[in-house]
Amino acid sequence: MAEILKVESLDAWYGESKVLHGVDFSLSAGEVVTLLGRNGAGKSTTLKSIMGLLPTRKGSVLYRGEQLIDAQPFEIARKGIAYCPEERGIFASLSVRENLMLPPKVSANGMAVEDILTLFPNLRERIDSPGTKLSGGEQQMLALARILRTGARVLLLDEPTEGLAPIIIKQIEATIVKLKELGFTILLVEQNVGFAQALADRNYIVETGAIVDEVAAADFDRRLSSIQSYLGL
Amino acid sequence: MTTIFGIPMALLYAQLLLGIINGAFYATLSLGLAVIFGMMGIANFAHGALYMMGAVGAWFMLNTLGIGYWPALILCPLVVGAFGMLLERFVLRRVSHIDHLYGMLLTFGIAFIVQGIFRFWFGSAGLPYAIPSLLTGGVNLGFMFLPYYRAWVIVASLGVCFLTWFAIEKTRLGAYLRAATENSKLVQAFGINVPVMIMLVYGGGAALAAFAGVLAAPILQVNPTMGAEVLIVIFAVVVIGGLGSIKGAIIAGFLAGIAEGLTKAFYPEASTTVVFLLMAFVLVVMPTGLFGTKTQAAATSVSLPALAHESAFMRWALFGAMAIGLAIAPLFIYPAFLMKAMTYALFACAFNLMAGYGKLVSFGHAMFLGTAGYVTAYAAKTWGLSPELAILAGTASAAVLGLVAGWLCTRSSGVYFAMISLALAQMIYFLALQLPQTGGEDGIQSVPRGALFGFIDLSNPTTLYLFVLAVFLGGFLFLSCLIRSPFGQILKAIREHEPRAQSLGYSTDRYKLATFVISAALSGLAGSTKVIVTQIASLTDVHWSMSGEVILMTFLGGVGTLYGPVLGSFVVVAMQNYLSALGAWVTVIQGAVFVICILTFRRGIVGELITFVSARQREKDRRGIAMPAGSKVVTGT
Ligand SMILES: Nc1ncnc2c1ncn2[C@@H]1O[C@H](COP(=O)(O)OP(=O)(O)OP(=O)(O)O)[C@@H](O)[C@H]1O
Ligand SMILES: [Mg+2]
Repeated sequence: MAEILKVESLDAWYGESKVLHGVDFSLSAGEVVTLLGRNGAGKSTTLKSIMGLLPTRKGSVLYRGEQLIDAQPFEIARKGIAYCPEERGIFASLSVRENLMLPPKVSANGMAVEDILTLFPNLRERIDSPGTKLSGGEQQMLALARILRTGARVLLLDEPTEGLAPIIIKQIEATIVKLKELGFTILLVEQNVGFAQALADRNYIVETGAIVDEVAAADFDRRLSSIQSYLGL
Repeated sequence: MTTIFGIPMALLYAQLLLGIINGAFYATLSLGLAVIFGMMGIANFAHGALYMMGAVGAWFMLNTLGIGYWPALILCPLVVGAFGMLLERFVLRRVSHIDHLYGMLLTFGIAFIVQGIFRFWFGSAGLPYAIPSLLTGGVNLGFMFLPYYRAWVIVASLGVCFLTWFAIEKTRLGAYLRAATENSKLVQAFGINVPVMIMLVYGGGAALAAFAGVLAAPILQVNPTMGAEVLIVIFAVVVIGGLGSIKGAIIAGFLAGIAEGLTKAFYPEASTTVVFLLMAFVLVVMPTGLFGTKTQAAATSVSLPALAHESAFMRWALFGAMAIGLAIAPLFIYPAFLMKAMTYALFACAFNLMAGYGKLVSFGHAMFLGTAGYVTAYAAKTWGLSPELAILAGTASAAVLGLVAGWLCTRSSGVYFAMISLALAQMIYFLALQLPQTGGEDGIQSVPRGALFGFIDLSNPTTLYLFVLAVFLGGFLFLSCLIRSPFGQILKAIREHEPRAQSLGYSTDRYKLATFVISAALSGLAGSTKVIVTQIASLTDVHWSMSGEVILMTFLGGVGTLYGPVLGSFVVVAMQNYLSALGAWVTVIQGAVFVICILTFRRGIVGELITFVSARQREKDRRGIAMPAGSKVVTGT
């Protein structure tokens, strides 16, 4: 399979403090890959620094062979990488519809709004209410829905299941399976091992700002105990 | 003739109309300010200058280029808007990644530069601008006469306000803007070019200001300082409306104008202060203003410059060197200059306690300097108090004022704090201008120096010099001990991370208030001493440009360092003394020095020095550790 995103010796800093120490990994087109790790391991930071959201980053981020390390966040987004942040980032001063329509289209093959609303019926009912009047689960759906419209082919999702009820987790799981079928490439940050196992083709383990191990889906059961010890479970 | 509460109706209507017109200007100006604040997090101190550029620009276009009112109404905002975009792109953007305070300080410096250049260019007299012929005359409404041009001003500003509101609330671009106000990084990550948007927003705000300027040209005094006066009012307006709220800015703008107009009808003396009183009232009742919702997120703090090691010996040696240096300096340097510089230095050190260690940058600190000065002058001259008692009275008055102002100000932080302190200071300025005791434009002159404790004659130049030196060194020593004391440590902890300090059980508000009062009292001490030295208390000491100077001195020398403010004061006072022949250019040079300082060495002279030395110290430590024992001799230089 073609390599779509390749991250090599990525270092990143928050001000003076260095948080990523040479992150290396790659994604192939159509894959679902997770980043697993303890709290504070650097998973979210990895996603953010792929998007160029940290003040300083060094190393190499290749997207379809193109170097993005010096690109601005908006340029990176326009190449076709979409990001769904951990804290969801629903804008309070925008209605649900405005939130949904906010990200500009980056290519023609985004999902139609109608299809998105079919996928997330809750949103259709609340389309004109303010963004923050949604429940946590609905906000998560909106955060996901909003990047599906844009036509980005690579999705960076940061803990989409955090703090959600099992039934909603199931729903999001189904959505991700659907997205995979539609050919999206997904990099997923997760703490929920079950969720990761159900979805991922491969899993990377992140520890203190670097990738320390890789587990293929086929090896997941066999290596479960070591994964759990990585996660401190 | 019908009257209401003894006021003729016609007068009331006329003042009301005037109020609405002023309100229209306030609304248009604060709208731009609010949009810029929302997007960039800075209170744009250059807003008044941009407004002035619009008005003076219209005058220039008419008188030099022969371009009339109507084309100017379009052209001026375009030109000024483009200027604003350049400013954002090449100046403000350089500090956009650090504490918003620096952006604010930059706009402050820019305002000085622009105003100075225009004063040089157009003089400071009023420039007459005729009402466009289409709109001369007026209509008699039966109860009052309504000039067409004034009606047009109201219609045009309402139109512009509505258009701006519509663009922000109802369009796609507006949605980007609102979203970026909340979380600009995320909006970027969606593929929106936020830097360009910010540039457009600043340009748009500038254009709005210039539009108001052109509108104002035919009915208000056109002159290079017109912006500075209105700026402070619109700051108060924006605070009343709620920072960043578009609706709030518009409504509060008209409200302020009307309140001013009505006050002018009933009690003219208070008309210039009523907006500030309104602001104080609103803040007490609703700390975030009428329509403000969010309080500002804590900005990342720039850490204070500090040496990796310093010994008590080094500290005392430095202090001793300064004391001895200043004691013998009059042998070489004009003592009047030294005394002036020392009083300013004490003022700057007091300001620094708050700005540097408390991270509360006040833009109105002149109110303490000036108030204490007036009280001292009055006490010494009218009551005939001896100098030490007069100074005590001055210092005490500054402390009391500090308590009141601090109570109002320290409930907020960052931009709010800056704007509120400025507005309060403006209130004090108007009081100083209007109270009979302060002597208005003349101030209080020929203040007797008298004899200290009844027997040390301060009219002797040497005695006076030693007295000022003692006050300065005493104040300095007090501040340095305070900063090292547990109180100072807690202050630093609050500065670094307020919530953490709170969770440790410190009542951070009380510490801030105490800091505010101490800083005010010491500023007062400086002001009182200054009056004894110069023998005059005048409006310059309460004027906002004095607040600007103390900021300049402190930041130039190094905010958050002990010696920085002292050095900064000496540099600035020297600059003013030696450049005074250049007239209006002094303002320009001061502004430019300020801008350059913020852009290139924002830790200030002393701050950069300390950073440099401490980096060397750390480097040495590191090598010292890496070296095997015994090779120490080689590195020990
Ligand atoms: N804004 C920030 N400023 C400074 N340091 C930060 C910031 N955000 C995160 N860090 C630090 O970076 C490290 C990695 O954080 P990150 O958010 O990437 O962890 P994570 O793996 O996503 O953890 P979690 O599972 O809790 O979300 C942590 O040690 C954290 O303290
Ligand atoms: Mg995280």
